[in-house]
Amino acid sequence: MLKAETKRQGLFSRLFNPKFVMVYATLGIFLVIYLFGALMYGSKGFTSIRTFTLMFIDNAYVGISAMGMTMVLITGGIDLSVAAVASLTGMFIAYGTSVLGLDPVACMVFSLLVGTGLGLLMGATIHCLNVPPFITTLTGMFLARGVCSLISRESISISHPTIDALAGWKIYLMRLVDGEWVKIKPVAYINFNVLLMIFMVIVGIVLLQWTRFGRNVYAIGGSEQSAKLMGLPVGRTKILVYGFNGFCSALAGIAYVLYVKSGWNLALAGGELDVISSAVIGGVLLTGGVGYPIGTLLGVMLKSTIPALITFNGNLNSWWAKIATGVLLLLFIVIQRIVVNYSARKKAK
Amino acid sequence: MKRKLNWESIVRSKVFWAVVAGALILLIAVIVRPDFLKIEYNEVTGMLYGVPIDILNRSAEIIIIAMGMTLVIALGGTDLSVGALVAVSGALALKFLRWDVLIYNTPGNYTVMPFYLVILVPLVACTLMGAFNGLLISRLKLQPIIATLILMVAGRGIAQIATNGKQFTTMYTPYQFIAQGHVLWLPLPIIIAAVVLISIALFTRKTSFGMFVESVGVNPNASRVSGLKSNRIIMIAYMLTGFLSGIAGLIYSSRISSCDSNNAGVNNEMDAILAVVIGGTSMSGGKFSLAGTVVGALIMRTIITLVYFFGIVSEAILAFEAVIIAVVIVLQSEPVRKAMAKRGHKKVTGGVVRA
Repeated sequence: MLKAETKRQGLFSRLFNPKFVMVYATLGIFLVIYLFGALMYGSKGFTSIRTFTLMFIDNAYVGISAMGMTMVLITGGIDLSVAAVASLTGMFIAYGTSVLGLDPVACMVFSLLVGTGLGLLMGATIHCLNVPPFITTLTGMFLARGVCSLISRESISISHPTIDALAGWKIYLMRLVDGEWVKIKPVAYINFNVLLMIFMVIVGIVLLQWTRFGRNVYAIGGSEQSAKLMGLPVGRTKILVYGFNGFCSALAGIAYVLYVKSGWNLALAGGELDVISSAVIGGVLLTGGVGYPIGTLLGVMLKSTIPALITFNGNLNSWWAKIATGVLLLLFIVIQRIVVNYSARKKAK
Repeated sequence: MKRKLNWESIVRSKVFWAVVAGALILLIAVIVRPDFLKIEYNEVTGMLYGVPIDILNRSAEIIIIAMGMTLVIALGGTDLSVGALVAVSGALALKFLRWDVLIYNTPGNYTVMPFYLVILVPLVACTLMGAFNGLLISRLKLQPIIATLILMVAGRGIAQIATNGKQFTTMYTPYQFIAQGHVLWLPLPIIIAAVVLISIALFTRKTSFGMFVESVGVNPNASRVSGLKSNRIIMIAYMLTGFLSGIAGLIYSSRISSCDSNNAGVNNEMDAILAVVIGGTSMSGGKFSLAGTVVGALIMRTIITLVYFFGIVSEAILAFEAVIIAVVIVLQSEPVRKAMAKRGHKKVTGGVVRA
């Protein structure tokens, strides 16, 4: 019976599987908003490739962190410490290179280790001591922010050849004109951060969709109890997920340092909400078990079009971006609700 | 409240460990600064001064917010929007006090709109926003974290737009009295917090509301089947939290005599949730303890005050808070308490309800 049903699913019904609806909804609304921007401000260059790549460049660190967050949310947990860890990474690199005169690469490796370690520690606390993820990671956030401020209260700027080289490295988008490659106009480029983000998206997709680890993550999100009874390594997977998220946060911190070239103890305040809301807008269910890295990427893009629109408008208070994000969140969770109800009803039949 | 008062149940209760932690911190404080607990009576102003008074005064907002948060968490939810509501409340109050800010720039001892509107409108607005949260959670069955995340993000935007992104200042005496005035030798915020605490305690313990909240928190479906109007209870809890955040917002903006939509209530939601959890209410819902919450809020403020004495920058306090909270959380966590309260013959059932 079950097998017959699986067989009957063609390409069409597989593509329109309710579990992908959220991703499509994100893509659809992104296209609608982008089209709106194109109609309103197309003449000002909203549709140019430059604007498009800039959206990636400005939000690469959010995207990197959101990949780890996606995985954590799929297990049914949450991590509030991401922005604080990223800020701590920035502080380590800035203090290490500018004040202590260390090699920036060593600082980066150190902060990646610290981020991963903190993540693993929080994962272990959540799993072994049964403390809610919200509280554990909140404590982690306080700790990271506090250590940031202990290092320095002032913003430390970084000027080091390695950092400058990494931050200044860019690939210009070219176009073939009369057998010769020329830069497209207006000049558009992608930098190291964007490549890093694309790399992390690929890592996220591979880990979640094609490995046993990824299937364990989805299983835990679906029902931790069942996963445990099935003999899946629940504890190990959960701890590793938080460790991976810590690694992503530290990597996001590195991307942020390359973006602003300074470390500040209050940098990225409230950034965890950006990351979480990007993932939610991208169709990740906070109850766990549902979500795709590609959806999160779309969520990051959708969220970054709003500030772009407000900038292009020029008259609107930038605070409208906050309200628009709130409205988007509302819209998406209502869609999620409908989808979940629909599929539950379908299952009941 | 019939509770067996044997040693085992005391050791197992989370509130007990919160009180122990609080006492330890106070002990350290007294060792470091012998005058930590000294309270002085100033005959000229007729007021009490001292570190304990200051701790009570400064923790008033968190206590007030955490009262609502206790109910929300007991229902198995969370309210992340309280910090944003604090900002909205202050912004609206100052908007009504200083409607004419575009014409007259200097703050004075006056109000443009009647004073009752200055107080009433922010409170009503915050209650409505709480009702919005409650509606999303009870009717649309959204997850509380994500439903309240909406207002957490959008609320600060609303506050900024209400004041057009400006920071209004006021010198209106009745408004300043809210946080800076004194009644019965004590700063008014302490009195407000006490009144809120007593009314919420009476409301939850002298009516059946508290029991309903715990029942819905343990099992919403079972409660609904047995005839409780879960939706209405959830609505009331979130509206109450909104209203209390409004009060906290008025106190905060009165304390600084202005509205600061960027910084008002930042991290208040986190502090309130931590106060509730340190106080022994489980994040997964069920039994709650208002007294525990107050202890939790006071512990946090005591840590902050203590760390100030060491001359550490205010932002770095978070690190110390984190360490102490980590200790409290580990002490309260299921496995540790199980190990401590092990008596052999009594099987621990592993539910959160028992805590």
